[in-house]
Amino acid sequence: MAQVTALMEEERLNVTALHPQHDELTPAQYPPLSRSSSPAIEINNLVVSYGKRRAIEGLTLVVPRGSVYGLLGANGAGKTTIIKTLLGFRPPNGGSVRVLGYDVVRQRLEVCARVGYVSEENSLYTYLTIPQICAFCRDTSRQWHQDIVDRYLRLFDLPGNAKIGKLSKGMRMQLALCLALGNDPDLLLLDEPTAGLDPIARHTFLSTLVGDIASEGKTIFFSSHILADVEAVADWVGILRSGRLVLSGELDTLKQTHKLVRVTYAELPPESELDALRALPGVVNVEQEGRSVRLRVRGDADALATSVQERPYALRDVEVVNLNLEHIALAYLMEGRP
Amino acid sequence: MPNWLDVNPRSGVPIYVQLVEQIRHALEVGILRPGDHLPTVRQLAGELTIAPNTIVKAYSELENLGLIESRPGVGTTVTANLNGTLHAQQQSALFERLRGVVRDASHMNISEDDLRARFAAEVERFYHNEHDEG
Repeated sequence: MAQVTALMEEERLNVTALHPQHDELTPAQYPPLSRSSSPAIEINNLVVSYGKRRAIEGLTLVVPRGSVYGLLGANGAGKTTIIKTLLGFRPPNGGSVRVLGYDVVRQRLEVCARVGYVSEENSLYTYLTIPQICAFCRDTSRQWHQDIVDRYLRLFDLPGNAKIGKLSKGMRMQLALCLALGNDPDLLLLDEPTAGLDPIARHTFLSTLVGDIASEGKTIFFSSHILADVEAVADWVGILRSGRLVLSGELDTLKQTHKLVRVTYAELPPESELDALRALPGVVNVEQEGRSVRLRVRGDADALATSVQERPYALRDVEVVNLNLEHIALAYLMEGRP
Repeated sequence: MPNWLDVNPRSGVPIYVQLVEQIRHALEVGILRPGDHLPTVRQLAGELTIAPNTIVKAYSELENLGLIESRPGVGTTVTANLNGTLHAQQQSALFERLRGVVRDASHMNISEDDLRARFAAEVERFYHNEHDEG
């Protein structure tokens, strides 16, 4: 019996938002107003180990309220571990994790009551119908807003009485999202939400995410290994590699501070000139091919282009080139690799 | 949804900058006129599948430039009249090009007299031949 309950528990957590069954505090005890000004997520120097293997290695990450934060990383980089830690499923081995101002270990129920979660596995009970699973979630939840769930069910045009087993993968993901919104969460955690969706389902899903859910002021934190999804809907981006955050920031700012400067010399530049370029402030990498030199720049590329023009060598052209997220991400992901 | 608005998330140009430029262009060519309404943040976020904060950022930039105004209950409306500024810009770009031609000619050691003669001949040919033919 205990095993069955554990299984139910496990499965329920996968399915819906998180619905703690007991109130540990009276309502009067928990509206600390200062929390509403804290970041949606605040991870400080987090370490998570599986046995001897360190899955997360001193990770620090902040997600501002109201943002759509896309966590990009290859499979096995630690994305799911981070999301499970945010939910309190995985206690940290080091560091601290605060969600909506609450400590995920000591105030787990507070976190769960305000967070919606859609898991990657998406193991909904296949033998239930949509109304049945709604009833199930309502019964196990502290606060349930069926009106919100119904609104999103209609928006996705999900068939009213269908058994979950009969739904397509895209529909199940949409249903999981509807259920995750049932406790009217302030923060939505989505683990690989678009993986395996067809183009139309993906578009509808993303458009609802930003046009409806984020536009209501909810914070969205989602993981993905698909760059196109992150660059389309996210306004904040984090790039994870082997349990470390190699880059994090506002996407628009990243584009403004990561550029390429393309320099064409009149004559083949000597090695000393290339060294001088490498030493210029903001230059992270210099690649030469004959008279053409490419500088990867962080910071003010226009200022750098001006100082290149002032070098005592004849130049044919100096051009500042914008980089998209793919270019920026690849540079960070490949940095330091053999 | 205005069909003249279209962002490319794959571009290296920040999305909010793309929005600012496209809306400013719509003002300059007269697609948008004072008093016209811009879509709500929610509408644009859903239609363009971009984060709402990105649109908020673009709108506040346009507001700082004095081109639009957002008011609760009213929405976002166009306040500036940029109609005609495009013509002025094109004109100044043209004269800039002329300046470039003169500079390039001098770099290529074409004499002042020669350049003047060429320019006069070009003007002559355009206006007089056109009139003769017309």
